[in-house]
Amino acid sequence: MDEIKEFTDLYGTDEVQEEEQEKYVTFKSGNEYFAIRIEYVSEIIQIQPITMIPESEDYIKGLINLRGKIIPVIDVRLRFKQEPFEYNDRTCIIVINVKSTIVGLVVEKIAEVVEIKEKKELPQSSVGHSDKGQNKYVFAIGKVGDYVKLLLDPDRLLNDVDSSAADLAVREAEDVEEK
Amino acid sequence: MAEEFSTEGMLDMYLFENEQLLEQLQETVLEQKDADCFDEESINEIFRAMHTIKGSSAIMMFDNITTVAHKLEDIFFYLRESHPDNVPHLELVDHVLEVEDFITNEMDKIRNGSPADGDATGLLAGLDKFLKKIQTKDGKAVKAPQAAASEEPKHFYIAPMATSASHFYRIFVTYYPGTELVNIHAYKAVYALKELAEDLLYLPEDIVSNEESADVILNDGFKILLQAQCSEEDIRKIIGVGYDVKQVDIEECSANEFLQGFDFGEHGAQIDLESSVEQIEQKAAEEHPAEAAPEKPAMAPGDFVIKPKAPGKPKKMGKDKPKPVEKASFISVNVSKMDMLMDLIGELVISESVVLQNQDLKVPGLNLTNFNKAAAQMSKISTDLQNVIMSMRMVPLTNTFQKMNRIVFDVSRKLGKDVDFEMIGEGTEVDKNIIEHISDPLMHLVRNAVDHGIETNEERAASGKRDKAKVTLSAKTEAGKVWISVIDNGKGLDREKILKKARKQGILDDTRPDSSYSDKEIYQFITLPGFSTNEQVTEYSGRGVGMDVVVSNIQAIGGNLDIESIPGEGSTMNLKIPLTLAIIDGIVMETGCSTFVIETNVVKEFVSVTQDMMIHEPNGDEYVMLRGECFPVLRLGEWYHLKGYKENVEDGMMVILEMEGRAICVLVDRLIGKQEIVVKPIPSYVKKVKGLSGCTQLGDGSIALILDPSGLVG
Repeated sequence: MDEIKEFTDLYGTDEVQEEEQEKYVTFKSGNEYFAIRIEYVSEIIQIQPITMIPESEDYIKGLINLRGKIIPVIDVRLRFKQEPFEYNDRTCIIVINVKSTIVGLVVEKIAEVVEIKEKKELPQSSVGHSDKGQNKYVFAIGKVGDYVKLLLDPDRLLNDVDSSAADLAVREAEDVEEK
Repeated sequence: MAEEFSTEGMLDMYLFENEQLLEQLQETVLEQKDADCFDEESINEIFRAMHTIKGSSAIMMFDNITTVAHKLEDIFFYLRESHPDNVPHLELVDHVLEVEDFITNEMDKIRNGSPADGDATGLLAGLDKFLKKIQTKDGKAVKAPQAAASEEPKHFYIAPMATSASHFYRIFVTYYPGTELVNIHAYKAVYALKELAEDLLYLPEDIVSNEESADVILNDGFKILLQAQCSEEDIRKIIGVGYDVKQVDIEECSANEFLQGFDFGEHGAQIDLESSVEQIEQKAAEEHPAEAAPEKPAMAPGDFVIKPKAPGKPKKMGKDKPKPVEKASFISVNVSKMDMLMDLIGELVISESVVLQNQDLKVPGLNLTNFNKAAAQMSKISTDLQNVIMSMRMVPLTNTFQKMNRIVFDVSRKLGKDVDFEMIGEGTEVDKNIIEHISDPLMHLVRNAVDHGIETNEERAASGKRDKAKVTLSAKTEAGKVWISVIDNGKGLDREKILKKARKQGILDDTRPDSSYSDKEIYQFITLPGFSTNEQVTEYSGRGVGMDVVVSNIQAIGGNLDIESIPGEGSTMNLKIPLTLAIIDGIVMETGCSTFVIETNVVKEFVSVTQDMMIHEPNGDEYVMLRGECFPVLRLGEWYHLKGYKENVEDGMMVILEMEGRAICVLVDRLIGKQEIVVKPIPSYVKKVKGLSGCTQLGDGSIALILDPSGLVG
């Protein structure tokens, strides 16, 4: 993410960037197409048997065995608080590596790998506006032809902003109580 | 050769070598701490160790280590040469240990990449004072050895291990005139020879610290006395003629000649024939008036390291020592590589079972005779492989125990208690990971034993105990576990005192009479957080943090602590620890659509129960009556909110788990089998789930979760 920020800093922050040519993996979830920078993606595999972990968040579907490595998988639709969907042959797992945390993302359908030349950063204030909860994971909107793709920030996707904020609030409350 | 001198490799080697020297040093010192003085062998050994450390630190330019090592070396030099008979031994031991601590500290800093900037002035002053003290006490020998200590050249001196197979060589190396930093080249030769040397002396001896030695080497050549079990060719291979070395002369000599030191006179002639004209002239002018009339050079003091202690009596060259066993060669490997290998072998074991139990093989009518033969062979090899890698990770407890020796010594000295320390079974081997985890808890237990367990000398005398206070550390392997005990023969735990404290802290159940608590139960109280019966907080213990940390650390690696005590006779802390963490023997079972594994050791038995054995409490708790005993029931499916598990106890299977004296009955759907499993952590992205300690891959490639019995019981 830092690279992107640096990049955008260099070329100005809010304007459409012409020069930028970044490759993104796009996938469909619900009615929208999302895109994730190809640097984060280590591989794409077919859906596998998932071992569920009890007592964990519902979007964490469980563990899969990726050639001997055990990695957690999360369901992107559930993560975005969309309706759950039935897994079928088209269902894929995008294995991403964000700051050496390896996680699989269960997505409905992989679309394609595209170069996104034009993109527009979303203003920070839009975070939390949407009741669907997906916007906080989207840092920009990219345009490919006539279609719009939502560019995902994988860091925010993995690390639950909600719960950490809630934790913080709880901790503060405790601090106050102690005093 | 030149490549070997990259500083990084050298630094690693430096740290590694010195660490081992220091460990050995500490062992030697502690072994003889109770003696009246060090015996000659130990004095030599400490001297040598300090000398080596001094030398190598000087090369690496760690000045403060060099100076400290030098100071201590001086002291031991004095001890060695003048045998003062009134050395305050314990003070000396303290000094040696202080120096060792200082150097270890500095080396830690170096290892972490920070500069070795420890302040040694206080330490040096202490050592100086001590040296002065023993010198002035020893009236007659005040001056001479002191002079010797500072003036007499110190030769690199490498452990003499003479055997009958040893050869003695005089080696004379001439370098091309104009070679830059010839002293470093000479050191390279020495460094290389060290590998095979049993004893090694060289002249000039201060090649590393004194740059002027370069001129001496250029003019007079570099002289080496070598004792080794190798042939002349081997030496030539190491110090061959090259761009720097002009000529190497090697001459075998007898042991006696060897002991005479650098008596190069008669052989100088032969060498000089090959030397440059200037050299011959210079030499002739300086020391050899005529080559034709070889003089008998007087033995100049300082030319020898091994001075005969008495004339005519040859120095003992360790002949009494048993012939060294065939030299074991070691290679140090990065632990992460070992872990990787371990992981890969784990994978191999799993994929092996994937192949051997493949569904495709279960087609009826297949002729698998050859396949099965090959498969059996393969399983054998992979089992062997697994055993080998496991044994590679096994490390003896010796070092850990050795550290405890030091702690007993320090604490008992500070507290003024006279305590013996005994180690039993320190050779017991344990997985490296486990050693890392038990070091701290053990340290705490040993400290406690000395501080709380052992009475003060006065108390001991008053209670009429004759035997000396003693702390015993013992280790043994039994039933796949390591048992480590810390035993003291002190006053034992005070039941009443613990009870009183427990009542004060409100731990006791008011409805239970005191007498209903068993000793064991009461002793377990001291492992609770914030519990300390010691009224006074000492430097070492009594703050009430500690025992609980010990217990939680031990439990973290799947071990437990058991306390036994007899009032007035002492206490025993028994640690029971698994041999290894990586592979456990597990029972695989299924509940709903999830698979779980539980460690075999905690499983007491499996039972099928009927409905009439169940007891239902109004609050929803369930118990099962089994042979008159009552066990709480935990339905795994309900506990984890699984789907589709069998709710009727008669359809499922009860697994009775027992740990830390508590038993629990876990209801699962069905048992699958027993298997050796490779423990893997649950990815940290997933938050920790109570009762799960890890996960593993089963034979079919699917993942099972490992249950943590203490999480279920608690």
